[in-house]
Amino acid sequence: MSSIDDLLRHPGLWRAREQGGATSQPAGRSTGYAALDRCLPGGGWPAQGLIEILTDRHGVGELGLLMPALAALSHEDHGEGWLAWVAPPYQPYAPALVACGIDVRRLLLVRAQPAEWAMEQALRSGACSAVLGWAEFRDRQGLRRLQLAAEQSRCMAVLFRRLADGNEPSPAVLRIALESSRKGLVVHIVKSRGGQAATVQLGWLDPAAHAVAH
Amino acid sequence: MPLPGKRRAVPGVQPSRATVRGQPGLRPAPGGGRGAGKQARAAATSNELWLAIHLPHYVLESLRRRTAAAQPVAGHDPGTATAVVDLEGGGKVVCAGDAAAVAAGVTRGMALNSALALLPGLHVLARDVQAERALLEAVATRAIGFTPRVVLEPPDAVLLEVRGSLRLFGGVRRFIAQVRERLQSLGLAPLLALTPTPLASLWFARMGEEVALRSRDGLASRLARLPLACARWPEQRLEPLAAMGVRTIGDCLKLPRDGFARRFAPQMLRALDRATGCAPDPRVAFVPRQRYSGRRDLEPEISDTERLGRAAGPLVDELCSFLDLRCCGVDVLDFSLLHRDVPPTRVCLRFAEPTAQAGRIAELLRERLARTELPGPVRALRLRSGPLVAANQQAGDLFARARGRSTSVPQLVERLRARLGTDAVYGIQVVPEHRPESAWEKGDILLFHGPTRAADGKGECPLFPRPLWLLAEPQPLDGGEHPHYEGRLEFEEGPERIESGWWDGRDVRRDYYVARTAGGMRLWVFRERRAEGRWFLHGVFG
Repeated sequence: MSSIDDLLRHPGLWRAREQGGATSQPAGRSTGYAALDRCLPGGGWPAQGLIEILTDRHGVGELGLLMPALAALSHEDHGEGWLAWVAPPYQPYAPALVACGIDVRRLLLVRAQPAEWAMEQALRSGACSAVLGWAEFRDRQGLRRLQLAAEQSRCMAVLFRRLADGNEPSPAVLRIALESSRKGLVVHIVKSRGGQAATVQLGWLDPAAHAVAH
Repeated sequence: MPLPGKRRAVPGVQPSRATVRGQPGLRPAPGGGRGAGKQARAAATSNELWLAIHLPHYVLESLRRRTAAAQPVAGHDPGTATAVVDLEGGGKVVCAGDAAAVAAGVTRGMALNSALALLPGLHVLARDVQAERALLEAVATRAIGFTPRVVLEPPDAVLLEVRGSLRLFGGVRRFIAQVRERLQSLGLAPLLALTPTPLASLWFARMGEEVALRSRDGLASRLARLPLACARWPEQRLEPLAAMGVRTIGDCLKLPRDGFARRFAPQMLRALDRATGCAPDPRVAFVPRQRYSGRRDLEPEISDTERLGRAAGPLVDELCSFLDLRCCGVDVLDFSLLHRDVPPTRVCLRFAEPTAQAGRIAELLRERLARTELPGPVRALRLRSGPLVAANQQAGDLFARARGRSTSVPQLVERLRARLGTDAVYGIQVVPEHRPESAWEKGDILLFHGPTRAADGKGECPLFPRPLWLLAEPQPLDGGEHPHYEGRLEFEEGPERIESGWWDGRDVRRDYYVARTAGGMRLWVFRERRAEGRWFLHGVFG
């Protein structure tokens, strides 16, 4: 039997309240970093829709930012949901992932060039609980399709792009730009549906420290 | 025992050496001599009903089935008379003709030249014995749906033991009607006969007498009217019989048994006994093949992959009904695209889990065909299945919708693999090993699927930090004693000494450090503990 709560949780249902303040936002997934959670509507990564992470380098903490949420997802859903990584720039290192608390058996790695098609398939399949993709989008049409697929699925969809792409408009629900400073990682929230632009100092991330929770 | 008068018809026979003694004729008298009594008992225990499916036009039908292209052949409209020649026999003699050809006077055994003289526009096809066998097996496979006991009777008949199925299908008449309908839907024109013995059914069907006899009482008298040709005995046996004035089965049954057995072949006597139900007639049941193999000729030839995908539709449907009958699925399918002069193009489909869904197979085939380069137009399609795998086909996840999981992981993997290649989709796992590059390995993602693998890896957390990204090959760094990467590196942690692998030739002696670049990247670098002591970048803390 479907209750009204179930109906309200339907991903296709858009509520007028969602545009309002952060308090009425559907609960997001905690990022694992309290400072960042406070600046995001829903108190975490949006549950639906595309998340764009803009960074020019790898190794500034772009993965570490996601690790606590991914670790939680890999243990959710009776281990049904898979974490798809499409076209990663390097080889994800299993011992480090384990140290972050991720169940590596749930990892689905896809080498695809371009990554769009594979990402869309993974999102639409409904078999994954998170889809991470590294792609350079030339056409806005493809990005729009990806955002639609992310909106309709209950899956955490993350797209890594270059900082320069941040100048172009994007349908993503959340866009954050990463900057590394002497003091550690600085997260600029460029666009956030239902939230506000902000800058968060996260310091040096230690994703493995969060693994204790799982 | 006195011999009857007809005994004289077979002169020079010693009565004492008769194989079956003391019977007045071939037809055993009820409660007669010892042998007859035995036979009657043996026969009485069996309570079978046999339906014979005889295909009088099997030669043509098998060829038509192969070229069942649905669209008419270019330059040949279906009304044209068709004849088949046997290439094995030199291709000079007509071995079958369709109704139009027969109406024009083309008969079996006629020289091809004579047939062409009668009908200059005659369409001539080559006989294909393999296709005939395939046709018979296709009929038998369909028949499995009616009864589990099906017997092949090459080249042109199939026998079904139907006693146990009659009630289910609503009686003899309805049963026969349904079998006929099923066969006609395959484009066949069968002759059906039902009697208590397989041989009698076959003989009736061959003669085109579509009888339905449920009891054995009137069987012998009905059989008696059949001409001897129905038994397909060799010509040199029939000639002396004809010379004796024996033309029907009935005439044969009147002959004395012993003499008949000696003068003609004992098999002939046995056949008569079996037909009348006086001797048991054990048959080897048809076991459907455990792999599917189908072929479809394309006329005209197709060079467009999209149309090719559509043309394969009927083959895929046939495969799926083949699988449905066996409650099985396949995980490997082999499509061969046959060309005229070049070797066939092979398209091998691999499924992540056994499937019997036509839609899923067709989708994957389209995906693969779109990526396939054809060296030339395709003139035929051949589809072979791998070994059948027992599959619980309809067992979907009851709560899949509730959780929003619409496609299973295997299906996603197989769709990705169809376009990107098998190696492009994989999983990883931890290996208990000190050398960083050997501490993980790629694996087949589907083997990880499910709770079979116990290694969770929680207890295997390394004590020292490990980077999330690992470079495929360690990258040498500049800078001698003080390594540089986008500026001078600052060391945060280390060293962690790893010395291992002297036994397998990939000896590793390194000191690992966590270093930070001027730009804020955290790197995993190591220094070789060998002569030069060079620095390498091995990983990036993402």
